[in-house]
Amino acid sequence: MGGIFGSIGRRMSGSALLLYSALFFAFIYAPMIIVFTYSFNANPVNMMSWSGFTFDWYRTIFGLSSKLTEQTMYVESTEQLTSAVANSLIVALTTTTVSTLIGTLTALAMARFRFALKTFYRVLVFMPMIIPDIVLGIALLIYFVTIGVKLGLTTIIIGHCTFLGSYVFIVVSARLAGMDQTCEEASADLGASPYQTFRRVTLPLILPGVVGGALLAFIISMDDLVITYFISGVDSTTLPVFIYGMLRRGIKPEINAIASLMILFSLVIASLGLWFRSRSAR
Amino acid sequence: MALALTRKRLRLTGLLSPITLLLAVFFLAPLSILLVYAFLEPGLYGGVEWNYYHHNFGRILGWADGEYEEFDPVYMSIFGRSFRLALTTVAASLLLCYPAALWVSRQPDRWKSFFLFLITLPFFASLVVRLFAWVLILKPTGWINETLMALGVIASPFDMLYTEGAVVLGMVYVFIPFMFLPLYASLEKLDRSLLEASGDLGAGRIKTFLRITLPLSVPGMVAGSIIVFIPSLGNFIVPDLLGGAKVLMIGNLVEQQFLQARNWPFGSALAWMVMVAVLAFLLIYVAVVKRADALQES
Repeated sequence: MGGIFGSIGRRMSGSALLLYSALFFAFIYAPMIIVFTYSFNANPVNMMSWSGFTFDWYRTIFGLSSKLTEQTMYVESTEQLTSAVANSLIVALTTTTVSTLIGTLTALAMARFRFALKTFYRVLVFMPMIIPDIVLGIALLIYFVTIGVKLGLTTIIIGHCTFLGSYVFIVVSARLAGMDQTCEEASADLGASPYQTFRRVTLPLILPGVVGGALLAFIISMDDLVITYFISGVDSTTLPVFIYGMLRRGIKPEINAIASLMILFSLVIASLGLWFRSRSAR
Repeated sequence: MALALTRKRLRLTGLLSPITLLLAVFFLAPLSILLVYAFLEPGLYGGVEWNYYHHNFGRILGWADGEYEEFDPVYMSIFGRSFRLALTTVAASLLLCYPAALWVSRQPDRWKSFFLFLITLPFFASLVVRLFAWVLILKPTGWINETLMALGVIASPFDMLYTEGAVVLGMVYVFIPFMFLPLYASLEKLDRSLLEASGDLGAGRIKTFLRITLPLSVPGMVAGSIIVFIPSLGNFIVPDLLGGAKVLMIGNLVEQQFLQARNWPFGSALAWMVMVAVLAFLLIYVAVVKRADALQES
């Protein structure tokens, strides 16, 4: 008897959990699906009240003429948008290169060497990820202004590198930790120089981790708002800062289309990154 | 031998010097200047006077010089609200994520990684965009109100945007992965044989959960809570977009001091108070983890 009730109870609590989890995942994805759906809404007055299907908002952001925007004069300058996207890409690509290099070197040092200051370095490298981003943002703002550096793309790149090196470090370290060191030892025993060992053995083995870390750095840099917000100059707006400004000035329908494109873009990059990371975890 | 050692040392120096340089010049130096600024006198027109001045903290904590900077209890109440909202966010996301993490941890391995992928994915979609989605859903002419009115459930829209509830909802939403992943990690490595043993010994499902699953997942709960608490406390994007002018948090206050009021010393003092609060919580976390480790070993 008890067994029967037990199994019924198990099944009931099992399906309750299943139902709950379905709702949980719906909660996570519904807002993005709503934005995506309504980016095709033809209603120029209330963007959340469906009145028909249109591609016009997408046409607007790409600077093509469209019936809706001419009627309603909603056009936010396409030039500003394009330059924000360009700035974001420049910043993200530079930051990714620099922080991947620095993070990987640091991970190698921490994994392959013994030295006195190791604990200090471990704490130091974690710090930029731990402190609230608003604190780092204003600290950098004061610093750049005090030492007389003009705010612009360079300051944004520097700001991103300060914390993205740490992210790359974490991902590459995870890869190094799970790695068999005997190959490196064998290579050294067979007479390869440290450089040859690194080039032929270590690098190919950690490459998935490095690529995963780089993609993570790229996506975080593309998306960073708070730090960039404080240290971007007047003419060096990135995409998140541009959108944030747009939202503060009042919401216009074409933001839906921009938002949808951004979601799609980051999801593609993130899928790639997570795929690489899952490979490097293996 | 000595030569090999020097070479090794040289390589280590080469590997470590980029991060050392980067963090010394662009991390430690800025934070030090921030600390210096917190103790400087604000100038009349946005600059600073280079003399020691502790009234930036006095303005917040309750002493005044009676001349330029006045103590205003509003700052403490904003601090209070920030702590309250950050802690509510932690509690809400813990309750929200726990059952789902439990469920995912019991799925077959192949599905586990798929669900983890689903959890992690939105984290990479732009933060502004995800918050903007909630603005569209919550605002008076937003998705919820429009849908409910079209269905005839309500006659006039009700206010959901620009409330404390909206701010908590927004923070819970953007920090879900931060809570879910540590919870999942501690639930996933939970020894299944313990659950079976508990069942065999006659404990019911609820008792097994309360006596075994829950206590063993405490490290995950603590880790998730800390990781959610830290970005919640100093947040200014979420309260700005979903709380408007009505629900100010410390982050908004700091931002105002830097970009509108142009009182940088006061803003620096506020920022350092956020930092100290965050570091205090982190130290508590480290102490808890160390004690748990020690208990497990003994």
